[in-house]
Parts: sequence; structure tokens; C-alpha cells
Amino acid sequence: MYWLSGDKVSLLVDRLAEDYAVYGPRRDEVSGEVIFDRLNLLSRLDLQAAIPYNPPKYVLFPQYEEIIKYLYERQSRKVTIEKIDKLQPKALIGLRACDLTGILCLDRFFLGQEFVDEVYLEHRQKLFLISNTCVRPFPQCFCVCTDSGPAAREGFDLDLTFTGQGYLVLVGSRKGQRLVEEIGLQEAGPEAMARRKKIIDESVSSFDNFALENKAWISRATNRLTTGFIKPEVWEYIGNQCFECGACSFVCPTCSCFNVEDVNRMGGATDRVRTWDSCSFEGYTKMAGDHNPRKPVEDRRNKRFFCKLSYSQSKKYLRPGCVGCGRCARVCPGDIGLPNVVTYIRREITGE
Amino acid sequence: MEKKLVPIITVPEVATVTDIREEIAEVRTFYFTFDRPEIEQAFKIRSGQFIMCTVFGAGEFAVSLPFSPENDRKHISVRKVGRVTSALHELQPGDRIGIRGPFGNGFPFEEIKGKNLVYVAGGIGLIPLRSSIIHVLQHRSDFGRLILVYGARTSRDLMYKDSIREWQATRDFETYFTIDRPEPGWNGQVGFVNQLVAGLSLPAENTVAFVCGPPVMFNAVIRELKLKGIKEQNIYSTLERHMKCGLGKCQHCAIGRTLVCVDGPVYTYKQIRTLGEQI
Repeated sequence: MYWLSGDKVSLLVDRLAEDYAVYGPRRDEVSGEVIFDRLNLLSRLDLQAAIPYNPPKYVLFPQYEEIIKYLYERQSRKVTIEKIDKLQPKALIGLRACDLTGILCLDRFFLGQEFVDEVYLEHRQKLFLISNTCVRPFPQCFCVCTDSGPAAREGFDLDLTFTGQGYLVLVGSRKGQRLVEEIGLQEAGPEAMARRKKIIDESVSSFDNFALENKAWISRATNRLTTGFIKPEVWEYIGNQCFECGACSFVCPTCSCFNVEDVNRMGGATDRVRTWDSCSFEGYTKMAGDHNPRKPVEDRRNKRFFCKLSYSQSKKYLRPGCVGCGRCARVCPGDIGLPNVVTYIRREITGE
Repeated sequence: MEKKLVPIITVPEVATVTDIREEIAEVRTFYFTFDRPEIEQAFKIRSGQFIMCTVFGAGEFAVSLPFSPENDRKHISVRKVGRVTSALHELQPGDRIGIRGPFGNGFPFEEIKGKNLVYVAGGIGLIPLRSSIIHVLQHRSDFGRLILVYGARTSRDLMYKDSIREWQATRDFETYFTIDRPEPGWNGQVGFVNQLVAGLSLPAENTVAFVCGPPVMFNAVIRELKLKGIKEQNIYSTLERHMKCGLGKCQHCAIGRTLVCVDGPVYTYKQIRTLGEQI
């Protein structure tokens, strides 16, 4: 464990910026919202800011992304296809533990299944990840229920924990080790581990009641979802509140459904783009000829919760698909963020 | 040694449409060869798999493979039904298409050796079964009785008439055809395929069925097969879904806990029944 005093943070960031495009949380001047963004001005990095409204997944899995470009000359019948190179090294600094867990889920899903997703892999290579312990939870958070916070346990190159004066720095990789040596960080001393643990314990104990109460219920809900013991009425109740806006999917650190379209440009070239998609959209499963095997909204809606909480889906992520960031609850125009869905399932079980 | 089957994952391989054939109304067969000889050589499929086909400038669609893994011309048979397939139908011989794949699981030939095989198809449902039928004919002695029950709306809607004529000329291949309504010059059955299935005498124990067709026909045929005592795990079908990647990533083809592109497209009826979704 190393020690990074508050005034040395810029040293770390500047060093990263030499080799990487740096991303991190910053406060938007106009809206006041915290966004996880490309930091063109490194001084805008705000490690004390609240959990950003958007997860960092877009850095690895952009909302709109060209994957190939091709030109087909009809006359000569000649095709040229070009793969689009994405190997820009990127550093993500100040990742909340939930968001880092989200990236690990995406890794396992895109890289660890039968096929490796080559597009994701290119983004994932040459990535530097620095997590930031949540020394206090934010009102929307329930990562204690989903085993994904408030501090990171794996997957980081460096991990920061704020003590009030500076940061305890945990090294998670050789890359991280090289960096702390390069910028000349000092060892944090023998009691640093205990100090970090104390900070995390205090954070855990100050979670909101809804999170603490839900802790056991999330696993009960997982069980029910997996075994299919949730009554159709519950799904209908949930489905009736869905506006099919897709916001929950877009702010979810682990939602990764995408659409692929060929977009024709002026001059005859075509871009094959992949864009975020959401299982709540009616057109998601619609086939040519207008046959749609999933019709009612509740039929589409329960897919998402199945994806976030069922055992079968957890096999793909090696953990639950929900990381407890609470963003879906924050953006949902209905009242069916994941914590509420768990509450509805809980009411069904207890008959409250 | 046979070259390893490596699917084309991200960037489509360019192929030339060598020949186009009118099959039935709105359905054409497109024969193709890969432009790169090494791909033409290495591209190996299993019966029941599918590919993602790019029509340049229009987009990509998933399509089942009707050709056999052995000694058969590469082709796809496609109904003009949406935007991309309409663009495909505009193509002329010599035009280029893009191919990714092959993807999916394929039919389980090892498990069904020695059994009687009943193929039940409705309309263009014969397309994904064709490859499997040809494979079985090429290894005829490995299997028991071989039966095709095939129905379409009219006699003009029956696919692959030439192939069927060839199959009928081979030994030990029983065929039954039906059309929905009587037609002048039609000597075969009139009615639905499920009625033909009902009339078959099949030993339930040693019979495997392959069913492909529109959902209404599918359900009616399943009912008949079950009445004959054929086990749910011995009834196979191949499913279709809206697909975007073929790799198990875009998730559009999710049915229950499975993805049609990697866990399918071939499913047993036993699996289908437990997926908890419409076909």
C-alpha cells in the first residue's frame, strides 16, 4: 500500500495523460451533474464528486460506434472493407466500485463466452483502471446488496481510498506498480491496510435503510426469478409502469445489448455501426415481416430483471448482473428501478 | 487433415453471387463462392447452422444454410420479406455479398444414428431441413426409415422440386405431400401436414422428428407427434429470431435463458417447452 497526498493527485494524472486519454468524474458547469467524461482539462477531475450519472461503460462500448466501413462499387462490383482501429490507450480514473464491477461483468460477457467480441477487445486492451472507494454511500446506492462495493476488490490497476488528507493507494497490477514507482510514491506504512478496512466498514454501516433491508431480499428475488415463481400479476404491475424509454438500460453499467445498422454516407461508402439497444423497446425482437414473438410490455420488461438477477445470467458474469449503482431507479419515469422491483417481489412473497 | 472450422466473426468475407434461381414466388436461391480461394476451401459448415449475410449498402440478415456440408454448391434460399432481403432480390449474378459465420449448433447426427427420421416441413420450412436431408441421404445406411412430410399452400409453393425429385429417385425415401386446397392436376393429398403426420405409422421408440414451419403448423404437428408417443427430446426444430451479431453478444435472439445464435438454432421440443416464450 502506498500514500498519495492530495496535492500529488495531479502528478499521477499528468503522468497518465502522457500515455493515455484520461477519463474521470467531473462536475458539469451548467447542470451541476457529475459526469464520467473525457478530461480535456485534467484539473476538472473531481475525485470527491458523487457517483456520476452515467456509467463508464461507453468508453469500452460506445453508444454509437462504427465497426467497419465499406464501399461497394456497383459498376465494377468491387468491394473494399476496412476495419476501424480503436486501439487508443485510455485511463479511467476515479471509478466507483460498482462501475468497476460493471466493467468486469462486460469483460466476462464480451470476452469470456464462446466467442470473443473483437470490437470490445480492442477497447479493452491498453486500458488503465483506477478505482476510488466510496467513503460514504450516496442516497441511490445499494452495492452492499449486490456484493460490488463500496470498495473495489479486484480488476483495478490502482485503487484509491480517501482518508481526509490524501489517498491510500492499493496496487492491483504490474502496470500499477510501475506507475507508483515512476511518480515516486512512498509506502503507506504497516497499519494502512487496517486503516482502509476501517474506512470501508464505516461506509458500509452508513448505507441507507432501503439498501440494508433489501440485502437479503435480493437473493430471495434472484431465487424466485430463476425458478419462475413470480406471478404474472407482479410482472403486469411492473410492466404497466414501463414507459419503454430504455433509460434504465442506457445508464446500467452492465446492460450491453446492441443493434447493428448499415448507414450509407454521401459518396457511396457505408458505415456499419453498432448502437446501444434495450430489451424494453418494442422493435427489439421484431423480425422482417413484422412477426414479433414478444409483444406485451411485461413480457419484454421481465427480460431485463431476469438478466440482472437470475442465476443463469449470473453464470455469464460470474456474479449477479446488477452492481447496485441505483442509476435505473434514479432515471426511471415509472417506479421500476431494480430496488423497487425487488420490493415488489418481496411484497409478493410476504403478502405485505 | 480437415481444416478447422473457424467462423468469420467481425468483418464479412466477400463472396460472388454466381447464379440465381427462382424457387417459388418471392423466394430465390443465390449460389455463391468466396472471392478468396483459401476461404472457399476452409469454409466448412454443419447441417443446421446459419450465416449472417451482408447485402452491401442495405445491411445484414441471418439466414439458414440449405446446402449439405459435403459436395454441395454453397447457396442460400431467401424469401423477399423485409428491407434487406428485398435488396438481396435486386442482385444479379456477378454481384458481391458479404458472409459471416457459420454460426449455431447444427443437427445432432451422432445422437440419431440408427433411428427412423421423419422430416416435417411447411412452406419454406424445408429450407433449413434440406441440408440435413442431404446429409442423411449421403449416409443412408446409418439411419432407419427416412420420411419427408411436406405441405404448402399451393403446389406452386413447394420448394426445391428438383431436389425432391432426386431424393425420390434414391432408395428408401418415403415422401408425402399435401397442399391446402384442391387444384386441377394435383394428385397428392389435400389438407394440412399435421393430418398427414396423423396417418403415418411410426414406431415411437426409435423415431426422431424434425419439424420446421410456421408456428400454427408447428404446434399442430407437435400435437400429432406426441400422440404417436414420440418423446419431446426426440423432436427437433430450428428456430428463427431477429439477430444482429450471431456471436451471442447483441442478445436480440434471447429465448428464455438461451440465445438462438449460440445455443440454437436447433432445439429439441423439450427445450422449447421449458423456455417459457412463444415460438
